[in-house]
Amino acid sequence: MNTIRPVEDLDFTAKVESGSPTLIVTLVGNADLNVKTELDRFMIAVHEEARRVGAKEVVVDLKELEFMNSSCLKSFVWWISSVHELASDRQYHITFVSSPSMYWQRRSLNALAGLATELVSISA
Amino acid sequence: MVSVVRRFVEETFEKMVGDPEAIFRVSMTAHELLENGAKYAVGRRAQLRVVLEELEGGGASAHIALTNETTPEHVERLRVRIAEIARAEDPFALYQALMRRSSKLRDESGLGLARIRAEGDMNLGLEVDGNRVSIVAQARVTERAP
Repeated sequence: MNTIRPVEDLDFTAKVESGSPTLIVTLVGNADLNVKTELDRFMIAVHEEARRVGAKEVVVDLKELEFMNSSCLKSFVWWISSVHELASDRQYHITFVSSPSMYWQRRSLNALAGLATELVSISA
Repeated sequence: MVSVVRRFVEETFEKMVGDPEAIFRVSMTAHELLENGAKYAVGRRAQLRVVLEELEGGGASAHIALTNETTPEHVERLRVRIAEIARAEDPFALYQALMRRSSKLRDESGLGLARIRAEGDMNLGLEVDGNRVSIVAQARVTERAP
């Protein structure tokens, strides 16, 4: 059982269901400057948990994430870079589950996936 | 507050612009500019101006401008950053390069402005009057059919 404290803001929540070999992260609402510090803390914890349990994949459900600002996108950039820097046998795959109705996700997720195409995929 | 304004811009533009992607481009730009102001403005006042202008021969042009006072150092960084974005032949490649650069940075990365150019497909300009700066974003959009 994971001990990652969820983010519970008025307009944004983040939680993780831990398991091996897959962790499932769910983000809901509006990720803006108000939650940047908490999102950073949360993503660092997710990365540590994925390493601890030897996860092969982390699925990030964004279907109900209305918007993410560039500061919060940097949390994902840091995360992808951190996975990329692991030894290849310790790396895990990241899958973003997107919603076609959330227009921000089309371009932002493509930009993120382009940072490490072998590690990141997008599923609609 | 910034997200409240973004939603207001989104709802207002939904009534005038037919293309949902264009609505996203405009509202995302308003959001990123406002957060830029929230982070770097000096003083308590920042003004956001959003205009949809009909063009002769059809179509419309969206203008989004944020005006505020800031430090001389930030004015200089804005000049450098916006010039870099404006001359980029491939805005999306620059956006990704800035993402890579920003992964270890805690301070100003310019990612929001690069996002406006790459994801918002907006042209960016800077107007400076002393320590008063206006970041101006502009793009052509499709109006909603009457």
